[in-house]
Formats: sequence, structure tokens, C-alpha cells
Amino acid sequence: MIRFEHVSKSYGGTLVLDDLSFEIAPGQLAVLIGPSGCGKTTTLKTINRLIETDKGDIYVNGRSIARLNKVELRCSIGYVIQQIGLFPHMTVEQNICVVPKLLKYSKERCQKITHEMLELVKMPYEEYAHKYPNQLSGGQQQRIGVLRALAASPPIVLMDEPFGALDPMTRLVLQEEVRRLQQKLNKTIVFVTHDMDEALTMADTVIFMEKGRIVQMASPDEMLRNPASDLICSFMGKRSLNNQHLPQTVADIMRDKVVTVTKDHGVRASVELMSRKNIDTLILTNADGSYAGVVSVDRIKRSGKGYKTVEPLMNRGYPFSYEDEDGQVAFDKLIDGGVNYVVVLRRDRTVAGIVTKTSMARSMAEAVWGNGE
Amino acid sequence: MSWSMVMEHLFMVLLAVLFTIALGVPLGVCAYCFKPLRRVVLWSVEILQTIPAMALLGIIMVFLGAGKATVVIGLLLYALMPVVQNTCLGLTEVDPGVREVARGMGMMRFYRLLHVEMPIAIPYIFTGIRIAVVISVGVAVFATFVGGGGIGRAIYQAIRVHDVPTIISSTFTLMLMAIGLDTVMALAEKRLYSRFSPAEK
Ligand SMILES: Nc1ncnc2c1ncn2[C@@H]1O[C@H](COP(=O)(O)OP(=O)(O)OP(=O)(O)O)[C@@H](O)[C@H]1O
Ligand SMILES: [Mg+2]
Repeated sequence: MIRFEHVSKSYGGTLVLDDLSFEIAPGQLAVLIGPSGCGKTTTLKTINRLIETDKGDIYVNGRSIARLNKVELRCSIGYVIQQIGLFPHMTVEQNICVVPKLLKYSKERCQKITHEMLELVKMPYEEYAHKYPNQLSGGQQQRIGVLRALAASPPIVLMDEPFGALDPMTRLVLQEEVRRLQQKLNKTIVFVTHDMDEALTMADTVIFMEKGRIVQMASPDEMLRNPASDLICSFMGKRSLNNQHLPQTVADIMRDKVVTVTKDHGVRASVELMSRKNIDTLILTNADGSYAGVVSVDRIKRSGKGYKTVEPLMNRGYPFSYEDEDGQVAFDKLIDGGVNYVVVLRRDRTVAGIVTKTSMARSMAEAVWGNGE
Repeated sequence: MSWSMVMEHLFMVLLAVLFTIALGVPLGVCAYCFKPLRRVVLWSVEILQTIPAMALLGIIMVFLGAGKATVVIGLLLYALMPVVQNTCLGLTEVDPGVREVARGMGMMRFYRLLHVEMPIAIPYIFTGIRIAVVISVGVAVFATFVGGGGIGRAIYQAIRVHDVPTIISSTFTLMLMAIGLDTVMALAEKRLYSRFSPAEK
């Protein structure tokens, strides 16, 4: 829907956008985030050509915007900014109908649009349509700002910190509303913020910028799980630590430092290893590294006499689960099986780790309290 | 002093103010639209203000001779400053957010000026006009020296014959006229401002 190809922009020698290339798919809500001055607003304004680029091309719907008529382009892209910018001399209805009027829609059609738009945010037409902006609260004003941007049904809407000046409660309500409208009307939205919470709750895709470049472009989940830089981590603050370790798969709750030996390991060496590491079970692998079974120190003591390797003593039926399975699978096996641990395997059947009651408790604690960093 | 003198005075003032608006508002818009011109225009109208009214009227009379035209042009030049300045100021004071949204929504320059910036600047422009009216009422007193008549003539004649009551009543009439016009326009202005006041933040 929106594609940047090697877009650069500089102001008096300083590079503000540095070879940006990315693509936003139709119907997506993409959030631009990053430290102040990193070029978010500049990026946004190049899309409706409020700022012209120096190099590179921007495509909207497959067409290079440099070749489009500015008025047409802008009429087909909604624009919402932090300062709201409602026209103070126009009523709510006139404000909403600015672009329809530019497009020379008929009076009846404009009025119908106003009805529909106010309906979307549950503001009764009779009560609000003829009010002036200074008769509305800040939240109501920005609601009208959003409706004004949507009035001529543009497929794309640009929003530059639209809720930055609103109180936290209003902000939450409007975030919810915009998300709902975006999904209902199937809009492609580019949304600038420097509030990570806002980004993570609203975005389909988060684009993190720094010094005019994209540091990471990923879904909120992915960014929480694998932040690409320390700066992103610090932007996410406590929240990232929490959510990053939110135990979901078996891998999240396992301990990955485990002692494995091949199944032809000597009995005596195995006992010695276990006592040195202070453990009572060893995980055994085949020669190719795949999981074979486990052997416990008790078993060796009871019937280990006369064997050279641990293979004949090996327990092949010990509970295991795969690392990408739901954490609860391992949890159930651990609790219901009455065992001390569950072996965790990768899909290629190599050993990834083990889940013990301790490792599980620790990962839960991290999720709740953070890992103390 | 006669009723006809009062009407004559008012007539000159109103005519001059109409011309002031007709010239001052476009000048103010030009000053706003063309940045390089702005300083020159604002500076010029300010210079006009510093010329003593009598001298200005005298100079114009040299070219146009005595009569109402001289008076009206003199008043026009003298009252230009507040109108030009306020028009330009009103336009520059338009909230940058409003201007940016207007641009971002696809309004081109002239459309923006006509449908957004001018309507928002109207209260300011009106203030300029109000000041121009008050200035004109006062300055029009000098009209009598360049053949324009008006209340100034009554005062001038009264001074020559030491007719103190007439001096006082004429002056009082002038003051009343200025205050009256000012009050009425201030009321109208207040309504404009409350209607158009920028959106509360
Ligand atoms: N007209 C301009 N002239 C010169 N430099 C500019 C201009 N506009 C922006 N810049 C510079 O470009 C850089 C990027 O600005 P931009 O407004 O895109 O930042 P931003 O990411 O939106 O920041 P913020 O979060 O503070 O809004 C900044 O360093 C800014 O100083
Ligand atoms: Mg910005």
C-alpha cells in the first residue's frame, strides 16, 4: 500500500532520513516510534508530500507519488496531528466536510457523511454538528479531527502523535476507538508516537527509527521478544522484561544448561560425573546427538554391576516434550507424571533442556516481577 | 456648529475608512503572502503615521488642490497603518497546526487564504478598522484647512472669535462621535472574537 524505496532527505547537510526502504501492507496499522528528532514526522510528511524527498521514491497503491497531483494525493490521504488543528471558524459539520467540499460533493452527500461520521463515535448529530470547536472538550475535538480525516473515505490515514496532548484516560479511549474504526473501515494507518505502550497496543507493525534509519520493523510481539537494540529495550522499559519472558512455550520455562552424555558413556564415569555436578540423572544421546533416554544414579546403583556402558540401564520411556509446545504440556507432564523433570527436545530430537519445578517457578516469577535487572 | 457639519465630518470619516479597508486589507494580505515585501510594506505605513497630519494634508493639497478628495486621501494614508498591520498580524497569528492541517488536507494556497486564514484573521482585521475609525475622527478635524469642512470648521471659527461654548460643544461632539463609534465597533468585535476564538487547548 505504501512503499518507500531508498528515500533520503537532508536539511542543510544533515541527513534526516537515511536511505529508508520499507513497505506497509494494506489494512495495517503501522506505528513509527523512536527518540525525538529521529525523523518520524519527516517520514510521515513525505507520504502526503508536505515534505519533498531528496532521493528515492515513495509508492502509494503502486503509483509513485512524485507523479501524482498534490491535491488529489492529499485528498486521498487523511491527516491528523497532535495540535488537532480544527478550523475554529467552522462548525463540527463544516470541519468534517472540508475534504468532501474540496472534492465538490453535493450538500446532501456532505450532510449524510457528517451523520455517518458522528454516528461512528456515538456523538449525536443534533447535539454536536452545529457546535464550534471551542465548545468541545479536547478529547471530543480530536475525535472530530479523526472523523475529518476519515470523511472522504481515504484508504490511508496519517496520524502524527494524535493523542499526545490528551489526558491518559481520554487517550486510552481514543486509542481503542481508532483501532476499532481502522479495523471496521479497513484503513491503512501510519501512526507516529513516542509512547511505547501506545505503539504496542495499537500496532500491527512497529517501525523503530533512530537517526533517520529503521532499526527494527516487527510485530509488537516480535519486538517484545527480540528487541534489536538496547535503545529499543530502554524504550520498552519494564514492560519488555515482563512480556519478553512471558512463559508461553516450553522453551520459556525450561533450563537450558543440562548435562548430556552419549549412551555409550562408561558406567563408572557417569556416576562420577553425576556426583561432581551434584545431579541424580543424566540425559543420554545417540551418537548423532539425538535424544536417547535418561539414566538415574539409583538405577546404576541397584543394577549397574557388570555393565560397561550405561545404555542397558537407560530409561527410554521418560516423559519429554518439544520446546515449541505450549508450556502447559510440560507443566502437566511434570506434575501428573510425578517425575523430577521433563526432558525438552528440539524438533530434530536433539536435547534443548529440561523443565524442573524450580525452573518453572523461576520463569513465572520473572514474568510477574521482572528478572531484577 | 450645525448638524450638517457633523454629517459632513462623519461622511468624510466613513468614506476614508472604506478606502482604507479597500487598500489596507489587500496590502496586509500581500505583506503576509510575500515575505520579502512584508518589511517594506509595514515600514512604509508606519512612516506615513509619523508625518504630522497637517503636513500630510498640505502635501496632498499641493497635488490635488483643496477639497474633499484631499481630505479623504489624507485620512486614508493616515489610518492605513492599523489596518495593514492587523491584517498581516491576524494572518501570521493563525495557529500553525490549523495551517498545516489545511495544507495536508489538500487546500492549495489561495483556497487556504480565502477559506481558512482570512476568516480566522477577521477579528484582528476588525480591530484594525476600529482603530482606523477612531484615528480618522480625530484627524478629520484638520480637514477644514484644506477645504474639507466638518466639525473642524466649527472649532476653527469658534477659536477665532473666542466662542468658548462652541469650542466646548464641538469638542464634546467629536469625543462623543469617537467614543460612540468605538463602543459600537468594540461590541461587534467582541462577538466576532467569541465566535471565532481559537479552539481551546
Ligand atoms: N525544516 C527543517 N529544517 C531543518 N531541520 C529540520 C527541519 N525539520 C526537521 N528538521 C530536523 O530533522 C530531524 C527530524 O525531525 P522530525 O520532526 O522528523 O523528528 P521526529 O522524529 O518527529 O521528532 P519528535 O518526536 O520530536 O516529533 C530533527 O533533527 C530536526 O531537527
Ligand atoms: Mg514529530
